Amino acid sequence: MALLKGTLDVLVLKALSFGPMHGFEIIRWIEAGSDGAFAIEAAALLQALHRLEERRLLTGAWGITENNRKARYYSLTPAGKAQLRTETASIKSSVAALRAILDAR
Amino acid sequence: MTPEERKARELFELSIHRPDLAPADADAELQSILDEHIHDLIRRGLTPEAARAEALRHLGAALPAATARVHRSAEHRERRMKLQDLLQDLSADLRYALRTLRRSPALATAAILTLALAIGANTAIFSAVSAVMLRPLPFANPGGLVMLWEENPDFKWHMQDAAPANMLDWREQVGAFADVAGYPSFPSTTTLTGHGEPALLKAQQVTGNFFSVLGVRAELGRVFRDEETWDDSPRVVVLSQRAWRDIFGADPALIGKTVELAGRPVEVVGVLPRRFAFPGLEPDVWQPMRWSRESRAQVFFRRAHWIHPIARLKPGITPGAADAQLQTVVTRLQRDYPVTNTRMGAGLTPLHEFLVGKTKLPLLVMFGGVALLLLIACANVANLLLVRAAGRGREAAVRLALGAGRGRLFRQALAESAVFAGLGGAAGVTLGWWGTQALAALQPAGMLPVSDIAMSWSVIGYAFGATLLCAVVFGIAPTVWTVRRVPADVLRDEGRTASGTLRARTWGEALLVSQVALALALTLGAGLLVRSYLLLQKVEPGFDSRRVLAVSVNLPGFRYDSTRKVIAFYAELERNVRGLPGVDAAAVVSQVPLGPPTWSSTFGISGREPLPPGGEVLHRELTAEYQKVMRVELVAGRLFTEADREDAPMVVLVNETLARQYFKGEDPVGQRISFDRIPDSTSTWRTIVGVVGDERQRGLGQEPRPEFLAPYPQEPRSGMTLVVRTTGDPAGLAPSVRQIVARLDPKLAIASVQTMDEVRAASISRDRFLTVLMLSFAGVGLVLGIVGIYGVVAQLARRRMREMGIRLALGARASQLQWLVVRKGLGLTMIGIVAGVTVALGATRVIRTLLYQVAPVDPVTFVAVPVLVLLTAGLASWLPAARASRADPCSVLRSD
Repeated sequence: MALLKGTLDVLVLKALSFGPMHGFEIIRWIEAGSDGAFAIEAAALLQALHRLEERRLLTGAWGITENNRKARYYSLTPAGKAQLRTETASIKSSVAALRAILDAR
Repeated sequence: MTPEERKARELFELSIHRPDLAPADADAELQSILDEHIHDLIRRGLTPEAARAEALRHLGAALPAATARVHRSAEHRERRMKLQDLLQDLSADLRYALRTLRRSPALATAAILTLALAIGANTAIFSAVSAVMLRPLPFANPGGLVMLWEENPDFKWHMQDAAPANMLDWREQVGAFADVAGYPSFPSTTTLTGHGEPALLKAQQVTGNFFSVLGVRAELGRVFRDEETWDDSPRVVVLSQRAWRDIFGADPALIGKTVELAGRPVEVVGVLPRRFAFPGLEPDVWQPMRWSRESRAQVFFRRAHWIHPIARLKPGITPGAADAQLQTVVTRLQRDYPVTNTRMGAGLTPLHEFLVGKTKLPLLVMFGGVALLLLIACANVANLLLVRAAGRGREAAVRLALGAGRGRLFRQALAESAVFAGLGGAAGVTLGWWGTQALAALQPAGMLPVSDIAMSWSVIGYAFGATLLCAVVFGIAPTVWTVRRVPADVLRDEGRTASGTLRARTWGEALLVSQVALALALTLGAGLLVRSYLLLQKVEPGFDSRRVLAVSVNLPGFRYDSTRKVIAFYAELERNVRGLPGVDAAAVVSQVPLGPPTWSSTFGISGREPLPPGGEVLHRELTAEYQKVMRVELVAGRLFTEADREDAPMVVLVNETLARQYFKGEDPVGQRISFDRIPDSTSTWRTIVGVVGDERQRGLGQEPRPEFLAPYPQEPRSGMTLVVRTTGDPAGLAPSVRQIVARLDPKLAIASVQTMDEVRAASISRDRFLTVLMLSFAGVGLVLGIVGIYGVVAQLARRRMREMGIRLALGARASQLQWLVVRKGLGLTMIGIVAGVTVALGATRVIRTLLYQVAPVDPVTFVAVPVLVLLTAGLASWLPAARASRADPCSVLRSD
């Protein structure tokens, strides 16, 4: 199943709200959270991360994984947390509105 | 960048954004995700090959495409973040600069005011320089216009007005000239009647092709036609934009209508555009020459020199080539007209250079003055900032020790300079705008083309450049503040010996020395001008200017059409004015002294060989009481009397210079002369009846020239000046004189009313203007220099406060301690003085021609000014020294 347009960014922010993660962890977290419904492609994820970092919603820094490998870890900035709250609220209300329309008989 | 370095930089929040490194970084990240994925899949039981294939499939695209996408987004991120960081730093720097500025408002105000003053003065003077020297003349292709002139070694003529007939021959015979136009070198007036009160208008005559040679078109109607040079064309007039608006209410229907000028109907054919201006000429109306065609062949048309010819060069012809062709024609004319043209040469000068030539030097001198002032102001502010920067050395050291980059500190300090320069520049441009207005209003008449002086883009650009220069000069301060400073040294020293590093001190002293040197050079220049002006003011003009009123009147020829009527009017005017209470004596004269030049000629003495050519003498006409009014003494013979009438024997007075030059060892009285060098049967002989004292005819700075004075009734002319000696205030008599004129002729317009004191002051108004201006620049420069000395010495005194406290406690006398500090201030001043005098010795030669009887290396000035500077410097050093030495030793020692 493909992601709804524009929702990857908010999913990344949500993932990082539990603490710093590297790219593959984020992919795994989203796939697990959606019960494998959403498949995240690595290139798309990296682009999203770069985009969000540019907007100063998160910061990236190199670190070492539990498997003793180099990986870039990302964490939310205060601005990122605020962004997550507003986007969550706005998507929730959109989804509710969509459902109301689509459920109409 | 290694991860460690990156981490360190992140820790200190330093910029880490490197677009050039972004692709490699992104590759590493992509690889790390792949590796994690593969590792994960292997753990779930896939073979390494299958795991790898699966991970690559999961990438979202083929590897190269995915890599490219990730590169793009990473680079974009780095570029944007780098820019954001820069902007953020910049705004932080500016905020920081403004905050420190607010923390020391006195220093900020002083610095900004200093800059504003200097930049303002520069802007104002530059606006004049730009209007006069840089802006091209408002004519079509002004580079192709040259002014023609004549020269004659016999008369010591160079760049003289040309004879009209010669001009007309050049026009026809010099192939390099597309056309030649001309205008008389003297101003004229005309009276407008039938349009409200009679009004005296300034008129300028020109040849019919004048405007077409300049390439100027009328805004309304047309300019003159070539044939209108001659008097067989109908009378026409072209109005200046100003006259059209002010006198005729900008009536567009005026074109083709007739107005009454000098009592004759004249058709208005055109109005000139607003932006048309001819430097030096500002007439209300332009009229054609109206020469008679017969006059071309007559000798006076080639003998009298009174035309400024302007030639338009043919395209592609250089002035040099045109001059060569002109010389051929000149040689031919010398051969063809031996009576008038022997040894009569000619030449050409680019029109712009000819017209602004006289204004150039005073302007450049003023410009040099303000430029020096700007440098002094910059040095001053730099020194102020430097003193403060040295005081903040500890702050800089702490920040360096904590890992702040030197570049960052440097940028921050530079931002401070920029804020100072920017605020000073903005205030300066505002001041400069006022200054420009003031300059245009206060300048002596005719010195600068007023209409053109205004702020323009080039002026704004110049002000911007000056501001930038200031910012760069201040840049010295931050450099000293940050570069090559070892934090540990500063932190250790600070507080105790507290020296404000040696470097800062050396820079400060260097700045001070240059400041003193520049201010001294400027003051020396101004001092020379002041000396010259004082001498000029004291010159005896040969007459007593106090309590004399001068009223100029020009009788229009159409109503005063016979010499009898003209003579009668002035006789009646004199008689009436003498009857006024408070009048001692009254006379009329063709031209008061210290004014524009009068006519001149050669002459012949009866019973002698003709004088060598070149002996030009001046002429004036006057009535009997003139010498009584002006208090000019009679040296020999007699003055004129009422008996020297038109029908009496022809007589003449000579001045002492003429008597001395032409009648050495003889008595001129009783000799007969003629105004022709080689008298013939048509010549009129006149008897010299007296010798009178010299009056300076052309100006206070110019020696008297030989002069003939003729009795007015024997040489009448319509334009005369009434001079009246009064017992009280001469200006108070003006209304009564005006009343008399109005009673004698209600339709007569008075050309000018001045006291002779005003005439005298006006004759040196240029010198005064330049002197006052330079003196004020020098004054400001000197004050800044003195403030600089005070600042540096005060700084020094404060640094040595503790040492002084110890010495005082050990029994040193206060005066000894004061000398310790004063010595330093005086020492620096002396170096500045030596440097300044050296500069001035070379530079004052430039103003040589502006000085009257003062050598460019005038000993009085070159001693007085340095002594003055040294004394003030001594005082400026002593004040802080005295304060420091009076300090209570206990409190000073306790304070650390």
